[in-house]
Amino acid sequence: MARTAGTVLIVDDDAAVRSSLKFALEVEGLSVRLYDGPTALLADRDLPLCGCLVVDYRMPGLDGLQLVDTLRARNVTLPVILIAGRANKQLRRVAAKSGISYVLEKPLSDGALMESIRSALASYG
Amino acid sequence: MTVPTNMQKDPAALVTALEAAEARLRSIMQTVPDAMIIIDERGRIESLSTTAERLFGYSMDEVAGKNIKLLMPTPHREQHDNYLKRYLTTGERRIIGIGRVVVGQRKDGTTFPMHLTIGELRSANKHYFTGFIRDLTDQQVTESRLKELQSEVTHMSRFTALGEMASTLAHEINQPLTAIANYLKGCQRLLERIDGEPALVLHDAVSKAADQALRAGDIIRRLREFVARGEGERRVESLPKLIEDASTLALIGVKENGIAVSFRLDPAAALVLADRIQIQQVLVNLIRNAMETMIESGSRRELEIGTVANADETVEVRVSDTGAGLAPEVAAHLFQPFVTTKRKGMGLGLSICRTIVEAHGGRIWVDSRPSGGTIFRFTLRTAPIDEEPARAG
Repeated sequence: MARTAGTVLIVDDDAAVRSSLKFALEVEGLSVRLYDGPTALLADRDLPLCGCLVVDYRMPGLDGLQLVDTLRARNVTLPVILIAGRANKQLRRVAAKSGISYVLEKPLSDGALMESIRSALASYG
Repeated sequence: MTVPTNMQKDPAALVTALEAAEARLRSIMQTVPDAMIIIDERGRIESLSTTAERLFGYSMDEVAGKNIKLLMPTPHREQHDNYLKRYLTTGERRIIGIGRVVVGQRKDGTTFPMHLTIGELRSANKHYFTGFIRDLTDQQVTESRLKELQSEVTHMSRFTALGEMASTLAHEINQPLTAIANYLKGCQRLLERIDGEPALVLHDAVSKAADQALRAGDIIRRLREFVARGEGERRVESLPKLIEDASTLALIGVKENGIAVSFRLDPAAALVLADRIQIQQVLVNLIRNAMETMIESGSRRELEIGTVANADETVEVRVSDTGAGLAPEVAAHLFQPFVTTKRKGMGLGLSICRTIVEAHGGRIWVDSRPSGGTIFRFTLRTAPIDEEPARAG
């Protein structure tokens, strides 16, 4: 199976959600890195230049939005897919302001995440 | 005071009539059982009933001609001249003829809840205001008034606590459902690459299992929508008034516990888009928390409530205390349900605050005060200037 260019970085504090995503995405031929929270991601000084972030909104410490704001302040421009328990209009508005490309609701309906990841990675050509 | 026409030509009779009128007024002010204060249009005290003298601890001679703002705590002390000016220019009634529970300040600096009704009196070219004050310190009266104020907030609290639990449950169940859906999706993809009859049957079964995980997710989503606070309740509200109403309720007992309260309200942070009761609930929660931590911990007890208008069409409201402060590991989890630093308590207060603030499109967070203590901050969206604030009740 041909590997799609780019690494998917998953930030989620729930271990089961994390490893299930890794399983589902690797089956699709994507390379995946896991982080158990914002601290772990921010501590990684070797983020790939090509890839995308899949970030859980509700996490202890920094929430998904604050994490993305922190990354943007560090000039990390990777496209972001935010996964939220509930994604109301307000959240989508604020997310758009932080330069978040996709906001998805849990549980992820069939294919929505893969579609978002593929189009996020497609921006690298 | 009407002076009969035949007296107008006789100065002596006029003086007698005026003296008689004044004596009548004086006798009314001395005997009226209510606290009553008359001020002129610039807020200067004209007269004070005996009950009012007793209530505020000032004698008539001490305050005659002084500005009425002397008898109120901040932020009204600084604002009262503007309230008067605004009324005289716009004619818009915020308290006159309506009556409200406000806070009065005695000569010794202590404050007390009071019910204030204001009447207006125009004579010739002069404009007077008469305030009738009912002291609510008296147990029975206070309790009934407070109950009135509290009942809507507590009713709301129970409702929100229920909603909060449902939403926590929804979140907790969603996590494993998400994992199940992901695993099944991966399995489906793998099975597509395997040939043979059993693989096809397996693929079909796995895809049906995935459908069921999504169905469970749908049920959760509907439950959450059912308990979600409707956005329709949001109205244009005056932020200073919201803060004032919430403070009246929350600051009961503040003097007894030696807590100094100050307000720093940004005049530019005026109108917000909010559900009044919900935001009051957030404020009452934050203020009571601040008071409790200071009563527990501290020698220095200073509570500050402030607002700032931000450039991005939001306002920030902050409640800061000089309590023991929060350990960083506690601060990180503070807004999650069932996290508490109190011996008693469910740990739902701040999580409800967060739910409410986020449903309003705002954010809530906590900072440490450089000089010790904590600052809770939350943001609200401002309302466009051309919209009218909701009518006072």
